[in-house]
Amino acid sequence: MSLNFDPSYALEFDFGRGQIRMANAGERVIVPCDALLALCQGASEDAVRDFGRRLGTEAGRAMNDRLGEAWQASLETVLEHLGGELALMGLGSLSLERWGQALVLSFSHAPLGGAGDLLLGSVLEGAMQRSFGRDTVAIKLMRDDQKVRFLMAGRAGAHKAGNWLAEGVPWAEVLSRLATRGVS
Amino acid sequence: MNPEVDKLQELLARVQRNAALPRTLVSASLRQPSEPRHEAPPVAYAAPAYVAPVGEFTAEEMFFESEPPPPPAPAPVYVPEFTREAPASASLDSSVDDLLLEDPFPSAPPGPSYNDVLEEEPIPLVAVAPQRPLDHEDDVSGVVAISEFADEEPEELLEDDIVEMTSAEAAALPTANNTLDELSFDDLDDKHSAPPSEAEPPASSSRSKIAGTMDEALARAAEQIQLEEGREVPLKTPPPESGPQAALPAGLHAPLAPDIEELLEADILPSGGVRAAVPTTEQLGQTIDLEEARGPSLELDHALASEGLHDDSSSEELEVTLPGREFGGGYQEDLMPPPEARQELDAHRQRLGEDSVPPPPESLAQYPDAQPSGFAPVIVPASVTTDSYSESVSTVTVDAPSKAEFAPELLARPDVSPSPVAKFIRVEAPRPKTFMELLDSSLALGSD
Repeated sequence: MSLNFDPSYALEFDFGRGQIRMANAGERVIVPCDALLALCQGASEDAVRDFGRRLGTEAGRAMNDRLGEAWQASLETVLEHLGGELALMGLGSLSLERWGQALVLSFSHAPLGGAGDLLLGSVLEGAMQRSFGRDTVAIKLMRDDQKVRFLMAGRAGAHKAGNWLAEGVPWAEVLSRLATRGVS
Repeated sequence: MNPEVDKLQELLARVQRNAALPRTLVSASLRQPSEPRHEAPPVAYAAPAYVAPVGEFTAEEMFFESEPPPPPAPAPVYVPEFTREAPASASLDSSVDDLLLEDPFPSAPPGPSYNDVLEEEPIPLVAVAPQRPLDHEDDVSGVVAISEFADEEPEELLEDDIVEMTSAEAAALPTANNTLDELSFDDLDDKHSAPPSEAEPPASSSRSKIAGTMDEALARAAEQIQLEEGREVPLKTPPPESGPQAALPAGLHAPLAPDIEELLEADILPSGGVRAAVPTTEQLGQTIDLEEARGPSLELDHALASEGLHDDSSSEELEVTLPGREFGGGYQEDLMPPPEARQELDAHRQRLGEDSVPPPPESLAQYPDAQPSGFAPVIVPASVTTDSYSESVSTVTVDAPSKAEFAPELLARPDVSPSPVAKFIRVEAPRPKTFMELLDSSLALGSD
């Protein structure tokens, strides 16, 4: 198990065949972001979620191939390898935040913008499912020009947090409430 | 045999018998006729220890060096002077009888003292060695007489010299008509070694003519005593520094005439004997009577001695009455045995079955044993325990008698209902080791 993510020779461009291949993976297609975004915006939410989970599953599989036993990996290791795989897809730079017991994953420099947050959340859910076997719900906490934060929670916690967020509760307060309610 | 030869043999035997006796002065062995003799008349007193000043020869250098040190060129002090032949009277030996019959009060002044001999110059001291070095074999007692370093001719010889005389020499002697007592070795000396012209005794000779009979000797002695009473006799003890001898004061008398027996003892006893160590009255000087010791006189404390004993008024004041019968074998009860005998005493008491040995002292930390009688500590354990460890193990020790009327009062801490006594502040959750743990905790949020 390599502790450091090594992207060397991760992509192979075959100009004779006109193909792009990822190492230990199949062919890739480089599409413009606008076209993809237009597709996602034209598709249903479930279609976008399903598309995104497929991307995440592919990233999770590649991380497991690199790490071997991902369930024993540390925070730093998972962040490094999963972020590397997502970076190879061109989805942005992955970050990890720990708010008490809450796990918050964020993307920065994402090319799709706010229209692609549902896709990004779906990618994370697919990666968690493929790598750790946990069904998670990525709740979008906030979004600004540079970064989008997703709370990785269960269904119940995601429901509460969604309601609080819908009520206009700040995302920090949502995290505090989730922590307090969880203890009492 | 000739009767004279018999007498001579008898004399020889006598001399040999006397020769076996120890003597103080060095006996002059038989010397060669040509050997010069440098003997001074024997000194009757022991010479004091002489400390040679710087630049002067010490006695050891003169006595034991085989050859004299080369004299310094400009100092003519020790120029030898031995061309003069020894007088005929000194060439022969003299016997002990001569010493015994010697006039105890010589008319001539006493011989030079040790310091005088050493300070006179020229003194033929060093020149003795070139002619005949001092041989320790000749020395019988290890002490060299001062006479060996004097330039005066010896006037008396000891009997050891006669021991060496052989019978042939004795037979060669002319027939003597004198009796044995009238024999004079001076006559032999005169006839054998020295011409008549050199037979004159030296001026320093103190020997007088031997009396023929006892009456004549007594008459001479009385006459000598009369002569001695009329003149002052100088002190024989030399002053610490060289110089003229101090005359006796007018109030002091001259020393008494030596006894013949003392002279004999002085001849027999060694020089460092008792006689030499005891100073004479003249040497001690004036006697001063010491005053009696001052201070309190020692007195017996009669009152202290009579306190613990019987008060016997009939006894004398300084007498002590022996203790009575009740004091025999008794002792004071409050006396403590010595620490080294305590263990043995305890073992003895245990063998006798006595239980009077006191137990060792108990500390408060030990659980007390059952006390048979008297005061005993009562321990009341606390029935209430608290969170404090020190309070839960604390005990109360009360010294109280075991009788009922003095029962201890029991004190107990009142009961307290259980309630939270501490509030813990939750600290931040520990950092999860793996990503899986954080994911699970995060999934659990909001699940109630």
